[in-house]
Amino acid sequence: MFNSAVRGKLIDGDKSFSQISKEILAPIHAKTPLWWYAAMLVSLGMFGFGLYCKYITISTGIGTWGVNNSVAWGWAIINFVWWIGIGHAGTAFSIFLLILRQKWRTAINRAAEAMTVVAVFCASLFPLLHMGRPWLFFFIFPYPNTRGPLWVNFNSPLFWDFVAISAYLLISASFWYFGMVPDFATIRDTAKSKIKKAVYGFFAFGWTGSSREWLRFEGLSFVLGGIAAVLVVSVHSIVSTDFAVSVQAGWHTTIFPPYFVIGAIFSGFAMVLTLVITMRGLYNMNDFITDRHVDAVCRILIFISLIMGTAYMTEIFIAWYSASEYETYMFFKNRLFGDYAFQFWAMFTANAVIPQLFWFKGVRKRMWIVFIISIIINIGMWFERFNIVVTTLSRDYLPAAWANYSPTYVEVGFFIGTLGMFLAGVLLFFRYIPMIAISELKSVAKFDKPNNGQLKAKSHE
Amino acid sequence: MSKKYILGVFDDEATLVDAFEKLKDKGVMPVEVYTPYPVHEILEGMPIKTRITHAAFFYGLFAALGILGFLTYAAVIDWPLRYGGKPFNAFPSFIVVTIVATILSITLLTLFTFSARAKVFPGKKAEIFHERATDDKFVMVFDKDGIANDSESLKAILTEHGKIE
Repeated sequence: MFNSAVRGKLIDGDKSFSQISKEILAPIHAKTPLWWYAAMLVSLGMFGFGLYCKYITISTGIGTWGVNNSVAWGWAIINFVWWIGIGHAGTAFSIFLLILRQKWRTAINRAAEAMTVVAVFCASLFPLLHMGRPWLFFFIFPYPNTRGPLWVNFNSPLFWDFVAISAYLLISASFWYFGMVPDFATIRDTAKSKIKKAVYGFFAFGWTGSSREWLRFEGLSFVLGGIAAVLVVSVHSIVSTDFAVSVQAGWHTTIFPPYFVIGAIFSGFAMVLTLVITMRGLYNMNDFITDRHVDAVCRILIFISLIMGTAYMTEIFIAWYSASEYETYMFFKNRLFGDYAFQFWAMFTANAVIPQLFWFKGVRKRMWIVFIISIIINIGMWFERFNIVVTTLSRDYLPAAWANYSPTYVEVGFFIGTLGMFLAGVLLFFRYIPMIAISELKSVAKFDKPNNGQLKAKSHE
Repeated sequence: MSKKYILGVFDDEATLVDAFEKLKDKGVMPVEVYTPYPVHEILEGMPIKTRITHAAFFYGLFAALGILGFLTYAAVIDWPLRYGGKPFNAFPSFIVVTIVATILSITLLTLFTFSARAKVFPGKKAEIFHERATDDKFVMVFDKDGIANDSESLKAILTEHGKIE
């Protein structure tokens, strides 16, 4: 375990407690910058285009998409899994680093959890519209009705998925929100304007920071942290069973649950990196999210990238070793050298090869390179989902049913719309919510302080 | 606030804990301590405890049993249907929904418990003793009536590192 002596200072610049609150809250109290409006306009434009495409999808039908009888899961499922994967890192970040007692998480977890909530929300739109008749989505709830099979099929991974995604959305949102309550109280007590005091005062739920509140707050974090760790692993395992429970070559493998969970955390950590580097650039948070924080995330990414590479190689090896005609065809003829070979090699290069550059200190130190690599990983993970969904469906057991797939502008627009929604959510987060968990950061700030040598310095945990 | 209070205000955690422990040895307990982040010596030292983790365990236990019972009732008793040649009571595939829905129940119920017990809920007006207790001050609140006898030694200990307001 790293302790603070190994890890070094967690906050640069020898700040007092009030300086910490002041600097983190500066963007909230400051005037909204011009670029913020510009960026908001762009993302709302993307969001609007997405709404238009959703309107076409609902009013005309799924026929406006490029999906067909063979490739029935096109962009909707690719992007659903992609967003859910990104959404995984927020909770994974807070929870696993909490369990591993990594104190450097405190500067990043708020942003990661914000990303989770918005990404899971984007993800949930895809299966909803893919249902074809989204206004009947409540059919998936198990409630007494007169429709024939009276209850839903509890053996179906698609139902598990519905339960998992809705639970995940609710839990990650409440975990995020309750973490923010003490910080909203700080805003309430430091704000000058009456409106801010009232609004943040309402969201602070009357928090005062008394020992009675903190004691129960700690108990709550302990409970939520413990069970959310189970949830993170199980949600993406369930997403993988959507594929693995079917009897399709390339999907019907036991490696899928761990492979999906690791892939999700990989893409999510890359997105966290994209986000915190943006925060550093735009809001000058370098003292809180130091170069060492970015360095630590990069090191984690090397490790996960190696696991990803191993998973890809394992799949290929097992396809050969199983001597199954269909598995061998799927990997050696179709994925590696078939119609979608580009997507396969793009995935392999972006996820397993390029992140290995993080072995070099010079790369980890240069923020713009780290930023570019984090974007490349996200693109690579998108190609991974494309590769899994489309190659398998386009070449199934019956050559007469083989069909290729390309998206229509409606599907592309839908995806662009969720990107716009994500950006708008992140911008709102930058503007109105403390980007860094202030109270958690203060609790690690004392490691920097020598206490003037007069009192015993106790460390917690 | 009809009562009179003495506030001990400190600049950092170490001095607060030091004063808290000295006072505790003398048998003087603050009514409440306000800090910008959780200070474990205070949380352990104050005469309060929480059973929220125990409550969560029982929520989980009953939620798991309830959900599993519901799935079995719906799929076995109320309207049995064969899916993919599985038995009506396809127990292993019920486990997945049970785990996830149990986690959801624990989270929501524990949140409501926290909200009720810590009295942190929407629309509550904060009772603020010291404006900067959520920012950078560590505040101990004493009831003036309760400590009439020890008030001199109390003041001495408080002013050693902090100040009285």
